[in-house]
Amino acid sequence: MISDRVKASLKREFKTSRMAQLGLILVLLVIIVATFAPFFALHDPTEQRIGTGDGVDDDDAGVIGDNGVEEDDDDDIDPGDIDDADEADEAESTDRTDVPPLSPIPGHQFVGETEEIQRVDHEDGTFDIEIVETEVNADRAFPLGTNTVGQDIYSRIVYGARISMLVGILGAGLAALVGVPYGLAAGYFGGRLDDGLMRGADVMLAFPSLVLAIALVGVFRDSGFHTTQLPDPFVLAAQSDTVPNVLIPRADHVAAMPESITFPVTVTLVVALVNWVWFARIARGEAISIRTEEYVKAARSLGASHTRILRQHVLPNAITPIIVLATIQVAFIILLEAALSFLGFSGTNLTWGADVESGRGDLATSWWISTMPGIAIVIAVIGVNLIGDWLRDALDPGIEGESGGM
Amino acid sequence: MRFIRFFLKRLVHSLFVIWGVVTVVFFLRFLTPGDPTTALVSPDAGQDVRDALREELRLDEPIYIQYFEYLTDLMVGDFGNSMDVLDRPVTEWIFSAYLIRSVELALAATFVAVVIAIPLGVISARRRHQPADYSATLFSLFGISTPNFWLGIMLIIIVAVPVGFIPTGNPGPLFYQALGDAVTQGNFGGLWDWLRHIFLPAITLGTYFTALITRLTRSGMLEEIGKPYVKACHAKGLPETLTLYKHVLRNTLIPIITILGLQLGTLIGGAIVTEVVFEWNGLGQLLIDRISSRDWTMIQGIIIVIGVSFVVINTIVDILYAYLDPQVIDQ
Repeated sequence: MISDRVKASLKREFKTSRMAQLGLILVLLVIIVATFAPFFALHDPTEQRIGTGDGVDDDDAGVIGDNGVEEDDDDDIDPGDIDDADEADEAESTDRTDVPPLSPIPGHQFVGETEEIQRVDHEDGTFDIEIVETEVNADRAFPLGTNTVGQDIYSRIVYGARISMLVGILGAGLAALVGVPYGLAAGYFGGRLDDGLMRGADVMLAFPSLVLAIALVGVFRDSGFHTTQLPDPFVLAAQSDTVPNVLIPRADHVAAMPESITFPVTVTLVVALVNWVWFARIARGEAISIRTEEYVKAARSLGASHTRILRQHVLPNAITPIIVLATIQVAFIILLEAALSFLGFSGTNLTWGADVESGRGDLATSWWISTMPGIAIVIAVIGVNLIGDWLRDALDPGIEGESGGM
Repeated sequence: MRFIRFFLKRLVHSLFVIWGVVTVVFFLRFLTPGDPTTALVSPDAGQDVRDALREELRLDEPIYIQYFEYLTDLMVGDFGNSMDVLDRPVTEWIFSAYLIRSVELALAATFVAVVIAIPLGVISARRRHQPADYSATLFSLFGISTPNFWLGIMLIIIVAVPVGFIPTGNPGPLFYQALGDAVTQGNFGGLWDWLRHIFLPAITLGTYFTALITRLTRSGMLEEIGKPYVKACHAKGLPETLTLYKHVLRNTLIPIITILGLQLGTLIGGAIVTEVVFEWNGLGQLLIDRISSRDWTMIQGIIIVIGVSFVVINTIVDILYAYLDPQVIDQ
């Protein structure tokens, strides 16, 4: 579908543009990290550490399943180090909620420092709780620190990349799937059909994307299809015996990662629903100029059907600006998804936007909790935008600023 | 005459879009699964309480009757009553300090964007491929790629926390009140208070627009600079700055304004998030609060007000544009 001339132009632009090369590197980096998340993550991203023993060794940590992820067996739940043995049994039998056991000190820490709670038993059977500051070799354990419930921020960013990229690419793809045929039909047939279709599109354009998205999520969130569990093939393969574990690097590590990720179905549909109209606008404009071309008339006089002409002649000639738009849309949708999950309308916590939100209460003391996931968003969006700039400069469809927005 | 015809056509089109907006918003509510009264009554309330509420909200009538009644009520400016505990008319909620704060924030952000972006775009185009251009391009790349909720949080960490006198949560006094104090009583404390409250939110919301306008100004200027009239200006001996700002920029601005009209939605969307970050108590924050409490009459009212003002502003921009440059009428 893409001509040699276009390919040559893309190659030339890519070779001369440092920015294009940087963009490709950034996007490939994010995609690779997202795909192979269980290999890149250092810890289970949902594992919480409350008032931990040493902040590094997982066995001593209070492990609580995050929402959206199946909780482990009860045996894994350790109610925390400060509990008396009897209390521990009680907590395990009655208080099995998502609320982590209370601890006077939140589990968050940044590189190299940690506060730990130690229980000092005396000979007469009493004990004291002491708070001890220790230096741990945390730069390997939690390179970007932990959040307020002691989850490893680095591992969460690695997993968050999956949601951002999946929603971004699927959302833009779905939007194109709806918008492109809509716009092509409007532009190609023209007349009344065009008027009717584009009036509908104008109504859609009157809603700011984020406002409509929030309203739609508000509508759909009560029904069942808010999220779905996507199984992680790497983790399942590492856990099962059918695939020899030697084929999987660090199989033991991978097997301990979450078996599935929570994928926000509603959000993906909603971002597609609020953005298809930009594809319709661009596709219509292209179809209007293409329909008067000689080759379309020739095909028509040979008796080709409208569907065939649209598929064989109009679409291939309209594809370049659509590709450019799709790229820019991926960036917009990543930002839109981040904003929605920041506002708490995502249905899963394991996303960059939600992680930025989770640090908002501790900005003065724990700056890294909100900062780190935001840097990940900026890196991903800059990468996609640079690729968009590269495609636009090479293909020159002149659509800057008319390509969507939040 | 042609202008009047264009004017009327544009007006009819806008009225149609407004009707469409209202219709979409009305039917959105009927997509919500479950009984709308569930969110409103306490879980142990009896069926009779629910039935009374259903009757009060006219939920038992056929949908087209409800739709018709909603439309006729809207015509006289009746958005219904808030379904929340505080049972006040929706219009009383919206047309209050909430709306004024949102408008203030949007205007302040636009002001920041225009004041920074246009000179930056001109400088960037004038010094193409020089360090100034690269810095401006880099800045605008970051600007369009940074989620504004995160930018707001970064500004709180980097500016507000160390500086101390810049508040991060809760809006300050309203501008017109602060201005009134300054004019009538010579008390400038209110204005200062207003400024330090709005400073960070305006930058947070304005950055995306600053970046976008910088990009558009730069590429528009570069396109214009190659045109013959620029050469003529040079030949005439006009100083370069005058040529750029008076002639080239003016021709660049017209298409920029149209695109900005289209991007107004981004400003409104961004305002919602910004308001949440800075607890600004504007329409956006009100919308988020009411989505959580499923107060549908309020949600509908806010979305309609946002959608309609978006349409009205775009119509005004289009008509002004056609008045200034009659060529667009033919397009």
